[in-house]
Amino acid sequence: MSRVRPFGEGAFLVGVDGPEAAQGLRRALVAEPIDGVIGLVPGRYSLLVEFDALIADATALEAELASRSPMPDAASRLRRIPVVYDGPDLADVAALVGLSEAELIEAHATGEHRVLFVGFAPGFAYIGGLPEGWRIPRLATPRTRTAAGSVAVADGMTGIYPADLPGGWRVIGRTPVTLFDPRRTPPVHLEAGDQVRFRPISPEDWERWTGPGAEW
Amino acid sequence: MDRAGRRVVTIEVVERGILTTIQDAFGRRSWRHAGVPVGGAADAWSARLANRLVGNNDNAALLELTLAGPTLRFTEPAVVALVGEMTASIDGLPFPPGAARAVRAGGLLRIGEGRDARAYLAIGGGLHVEPLLGSVATDLRSGFGGLDGRALRAGDRLAARASAGAPARWIGVRDDGPIRIVDGPHPSSAVPLTERPWRVGEEADRAGVRLDGPRIRGTDSEVPSMGLPLGAIQVPPDGRPIIMLADRPVTGGYPVPAVVIGADIGRVARLRPGDELRFASVSTETARSALRRAEDELAALEMLDAPVDDELGWAGSHR
Repeated sequence: MSRVRPFGEGAFLVGVDGPEAAQGLRRALVAEPIDGVIGLVPGRYSLLVEFDALIADATALEAELASRSPMPDAASRLRRIPVVYDGPDLADVAALVGLSEAELIEAHATGEHRVLFVGFAPGFAYIGGLPEGWRIPRLATPRTRTAAGSVAVADGMTGIYPADLPGGWRVIGRTPVTLFDPRRTPPVHLEAGDQVRFRPISPEDWERWTGPGAEW
Repeated sequence: MDRAGRRVVTIEVVERGILTTIQDAFGRRSWRHAGVPVGGAADAWSARLANRLVGNNDNAALLELTLAGPTLRFTEPAVVALVGEMTASIDGLPFPPGAARAVRAGGLLRIGEGRDARAYLAIGGGLHVEPLLGSVATDLRSGFGGLDGRALRAGDRLAARASAGAPARWIGVRDDGPIRIVDGPHPSSAVPLTERPWRVGEEADRAGVRLDGPRIRGTDSEVPSMGLPLGAIQVPPDGRPIIMLADRPVTGGYPVPAVVIGADIGRVARLRPGDELRFASVSTETARSALRRAEDELAALEMLDAPVDDELGWAGSHR
């Protein structure tokens, strides 16, 4: 059973067990929509359900939401993300987790990661799967600009900056992959539930990727 | 002429104003699971009204003006309407908000400052803009939508499709009084919100309006990331509340003691830095009836036979 609380006069916040249940409940409400629902936003332990307060019966909607169950993900994709591990915070992160830089890269690139949810900015995926026990706090003073393609870690997760954005995550590398393109459908490269493997590449590989014919 | 044989109006940006962007009323609701903000007009109610005054559909592409508006030259006759208090003129004659107005070929529309931080300029037929992800809204942070994902600059040229939509004048009234709020998911930290007046801080943009005033002590400094509805009042660790507007990030991780009701969020978007505001708590039932009343006010239109023409009065010089 889900816990349903009002969030303003036009939304409910449905409490769930975790990110996968939040995504699963969204899938269920996309597959079998409820009249009057106009927005679905998965969070870490919740799904925000917005409705048209002029037409929807809030009481009936609340009961209906409480009765819905998450729908499992049919097929989880594997996405390989090439990374040049030469980020400005690589040495600091290695020191924080007590490894050499080479060991850190090895651990990150052999680990199995999974997209928990996408937020913060279009295409910014919160990717779980860093080894247990890695304590990596965010930067005390966030950067005013973190470059597009930066592969960064914080709070037990990896994130990739889809555009030049301010950010407090610690940058360990960069990828040439385009994470967000509003002219594509879907517009994002990584979606919740995707399995992710990071593959070390050289700066020369990165240059080749962005050569003639590449997207940016 | 466009392919459907309609006359195309070209609008040249002579001066850009402080921050003028192409928006629509409803933005993008369907891609938030991909991190894409809703966007669209910060004051959607005023944008819808502006569109209705020139006979457009509610969601037609129009201009959102910030603090001071642009100067525009029209190559062809057009019908325009302004919603929001900013001083404006057409060919030197006053152009008050709230009613459709005609602009002649070669006409110069100038919009200055006023009491409102945001105003909307609709052009009959709507601006011709390619939608991305279901909306023409400009997303300034990620740089897409509208005109190349950016604010207008002098020298830009916009196109509108001249329409035969019925022009109108607004005869409704705007709410004033305190900004009404309902409880959010973390109401325990809400106590001081309604007790004292607040002031709009300098950090006020399309994502959110930060308030200056008494610091709020919350029960939690961070909460698990959750989807943020329009009007959510987030309280970060520094204790200065932020009212979330159209370009808010899709999720947030700070406590939300209260939410500004849908009927009043447009008023928040119109506040200028330094303006004072007060909050009043209401029930969700009151919030819903306020929304219905706002909808009724939006429909309080007096249809005009023709847009008011500066020289010819009510003469029907435009089809």
